[in-house]
Amino acid sequence: MAPTIRTEHLSVSYHRTPVLHQISLEAAGGEVLALIGPSGCGKSTFLRALNRLVEETPGARVEGRVYLGNMNIYAPSVDVTQLRRRVGMVFQAPNPFPFSIFDNVAYGPRLHGVTDAGELRRIVERSLQEAALWDEVRGKLRRPALTLSGGQQQRLCIARALAVDPEVLLLDEPTAALDPLSTEKIEELIANLRGRYTIVMVTHNLRQAARISDRTAFFAEGRLVEVGWTRQMFTAPQDPRTEQYLTGRYQP
Amino acid sequence: MHHLAFFVMLGAVLVMAGLLLDVVREGLPHLTWQFLTSAPKERGEGGGIGPEIVNTIVMVGGAMIVTAPLGLLVGMSQVEWRPPHAVVSVFDQVRATWLSIPSVVLGFLVYRVAIAWWHWPLSVVTGVLALCVMNWPMMVSVAVTALRNVPATYREASWALGATRSQTVRRVVLPAALGELINGWGWAMARLAGESAALIMTAGLNVSTHWSAWGPGETLAVYIWYVRTEGYGARGSGVAAATALTLMLLIALILWVSGRLSDWRQHPGR
Repeated sequence: MAPTIRTEHLSVSYHRTPVLHQISLEAAGGEVLALIGPSGCGKSTFLRALNRLVEETPGARVEGRVYLGNMNIYAPSVDVTQLRRRVGMVFQAPNPFPFSIFDNVAYGPRLHGVTDAGELRRIVERSLQEAALWDEVRGKLRRPALTLSGGQQQRLCIARALAVDPEVLLLDEPTAALDPLSTEKIEELIANLRGRYTIVMVTHNLRQAARISDRTAFFAEGRLVEVGWTRQMFTAPQDPRTEQYLTGRYQP
Repeated sequence: MHHLAFFVMLGAVLVMAGLLLDVVREGLPHLTWQFLTSAPKERGEGGGIGPEIVNTIVMVGGAMIVTAPLGLLVGMSQVEWRPPHAVVSVFDQVRATWLSIPSVVLGFLVYRVAIAWWHWPLSVVTGVLALCVMNWPMMVSVAVTALRNVPATYREASWALGATRSQTVRRVVLPAALGELINGWGWAMARLAGESAALIMTAGLNVSTHWSAWGPGETLAVYIWYVRTEGYGARGSGVAAATALTLMLLIALILWVSGRLSDWRQHPGR
């Protein structure tokens, strides 16, 4: 069962400039939580705080707690490598490594000590199938990943993230750089992954949030304005700012 | 305006081609297998540039083997581990200044330290030292540029899969940067192969009959200088032209090979 991921009073600042204020938010096990809000409102930073990737940015400072299941991921005893293995991430622009398709998917498992060729092949095949890319690339696994189309590359990146058996998937505007057809495939894929993984997804596409998320959180100026069931939020938002944003009239 | 630019460019190309043709015309008749393999002779017929070719390759290779890995290490620590800004900026200042010092001055420095003070002989090894002193800032520049050009998104993807910084550098950043590194190394080798001033003072104007690392190590570029200034063979200008031609071909070969390797790294399967 996919675990819950929950933040308590999470604040992040870069070089003493606060970008997130006291966010307390929970994604229940197996649900799709969409994060929406104007550019620069801290959605991506929030996502990066959930796998501690934010710590790789110079000058970043994190306060508050983030729980994966019962584990506070910012506790000193936590091994970041193990944490990131459990919390996978897919980025805005497809970023496959300049290696072959196979080596891209096998990157994570190899990192975590899988060396057996047969096992690697099984993992790669399973991950590509899960990411709905297998039928398009079978027999071409030795080709450079960069020869794939943008949409295929993004599904490859999802397969690469799935190959290390994560429990949570963080998607940072996964379709922002893709054409409508590729976007549709990715959305279909996310719908299929729901339930098996806890998915937190940043998106600028409100229709996308409405189509595939269970719950939606609206961020503005580094604060969580409102969170609720997607259907409810899109039809009857509680906060006037949410309503303004959803109708395209939001002015920060 | 672009017509003018075109004619200026055409003029430059014609001048270059003319100079090159002159060297080819004068040098080509001398360029025989025997010339390429035998030792130079001060007087009479039949000298060659065999030892100079060997010295050039050995010394450029030696300097690269020492400085390329060191430059890569320095570049890696600078780009991937971000030491304190003040340290990097002082180091970059020193590096930029060093790059602008004329090679003859660096050669003189090496001469003062290695030959006058440590009593090293005028030799291949001393010449390699001089080339290293010249080349290290280039090697750091090449490494820093190549590593900076690796997209940050590769690193993020690797970290997000649980890789440490050093695993990311080893498994993603270096393979991704290798093509550009090879290209930069090729250009640096071409520059070193043409170096003369620093080597006149450190590697000498001689070759020995039995090659040794501690023996004198005249290179092709130095030999050209020698033949045109100090030498008194009647065939001087022809020998110089043939040597220059050989050096140009060697440099062209280095650049071609490094370019091909680099292309192959950057676009595998093409």
